[in-house]
Amino acid sequence: MNGFLYGVALQWKLDIRSKSLLVTCYIIPLIFFLLMGGIFTSVMPEMGSTLIQSMIVMSVSMGAFIGLPPSLIETYGSDIKKVYKANGVPIYLGLVTMFLSAFVHLMITCIMIVLLAPILFEATLPTQLPFFFLALAIYIIVSLSIGSVLGLTVKNQAKLTMIAQLVFLPSIMLSGIMFPIDLLPDFLEAIGRIFPASWGYRLMLDNGFCFENLWYLIFIFFAAVIVCGIVLKKQKAK
Amino acid sequence: MNGAIQVRGLKKSYGSNIVLNGLDFEIEKGETFALLGVNGAGKTTALECIEGLRKYDSGTITVNGKMGIQLQSSSLPAHIKPMEAVRLFSQWNKAKIDFTMLNALGIKEIEKKQYIQLSTGQKRRLHLALALIGNPDIIFLDEPTAGLDVEGRVSLHEQIRKLKSQGKTIVLASHDMAEVENLCDRIVILNNGNIAFCGTATELTDKIGEKYFIHIKTQQGNSTFETDNIEDTLVSLLNDLKQKEIHILDIKVDRGTLEQHFIEMARRETE
Repeated sequence: MNGFLYGVALQWKLDIRSKSLLVTCYIIPLIFFLLMGGIFTSVMPEMGSTLIQSMIVMSVSMGAFIGLPPSLIETYGSDIKKVYKANGVPIYLGLVTMFLSAFVHLMITCIMIVLLAPILFEATLPTQLPFFFLALAIYIIVSLSIGSVLGLTVKNQAKLTMIAQLVFLPSIMLSGIMFPIDLLPDFLEAIGRIFPASWGYRLMLDNGFCFENLWYLIFIFFAAVIVCGIVLKKQKAK
Repeated sequence: MNGAIQVRGLKKSYGSNIVLNGLDFEIEKGETFALLGVNGAGKTTALECIEGLRKYDSGTITVNGKMGIQLQSSSLPAHIKPMEAVRLFSQWNKAKIDFTMLNALGIKEIEKKQYIQLSTGQKRRLHLALALIGNPDIIFLDEPTAGLDVEGRVSLHEQIRKLKSQGKTIVLASHDMAEVENLCDRIVILNNGNIAFCGTATELTDKIGEKYFIHIKTQQGNSTFETDNIEDTLVSLLNDLKQKEIHILDIKVDRGTLEQHFIEMARRETE
């Protein structure tokens, strides 16, 4: 257990040093939050009631789809994965440590948004904070599971940059965080519902924590776990 | 089995490309053993099969003892620091950190650098230190001195000799004949997935036969001549140079290195 915890703590430090997660989990999301928070609440003051959830969806999408996968490619697309076998530790250990480390990074960013939004932009705090944080944790886990699939299945960084954008952009544009989802044409609304962002957004809203908004996230998570398991099993068999 | 490693009928193919075609050999405890061959001969594949890092198609491999594996460079995250890697490996192996060993390998001097900032030699030393965590009985070294400067090679050879003196079994893959000749008790030469030779360096020299190498330095450059008949070839060469009025600056005759014998052996195989 000590080795596992040391591994997670070390990964957390390596993420900061590598700057990949530092930029995608902290710098860009917080800059986006500071800029867009001001714009949104000035143009549409009623957005103050959903600003926290909107900014969280953007931050988590960026960290999970753009920040996590490069670290996974660095490990599982190179000789680094041999380190696990050579030391008799399970090959999935790298994925688990990176996943947990990214979870902590994203949770820190989200907490910063929750704390700063009411002060800077008079945003409304969620009324049921325990449910809000439970929904947030679920949403981060599901988003990271998709990021894990991207990092394990895409073979190189160039392809990853392109594919990650194909997941990231619809996630923030079609999830309802920029403008109400009802304003979108039906086909775009349907496309938006494929991605977990729209489900996570609704789950985090006040009175949104219900099975209707949860089941799809659970489904995505287990599907992602199965894909990751298959990919890692294939890697081990090589 | 009393030995450290026994390999029987080891086969491995990648698609239609046969990399290992039924290898058979044994490695004794305390022995320094080399897998030798040109690039693509199958050394790393054979080594990784024995280490358990790669699956093989058929055959049996028996390893008698705890293994320590020195991985090649680029097998650690770019931003990890040497002591962080040491602590992580110690935790995984449930072993105490041996600071004497770390000092001997100069890990203390590089502890503040990140892996990406280390030179090739420093990376090799770090990988050797990581392989030695947990006090293994058998140590695998894959191209341990590839890309090192002279000083780095000498230093690493010294470390390998120290390990040998401690009774460790050392298995190394290399294409550096001089290194193998200096360090190893026995060698296996791989050629096209088969064992072309298995024995000591002296046995290899005996197998190749009486061969001399004449190195001549003239104003026109350096040349090396290979012969079974030293007397006739030398006389003929000297007469030839005299006729052409080429002045000899230096001349040296030797029995050749293991490398030259290996090239000769590979040449015979292809003929």
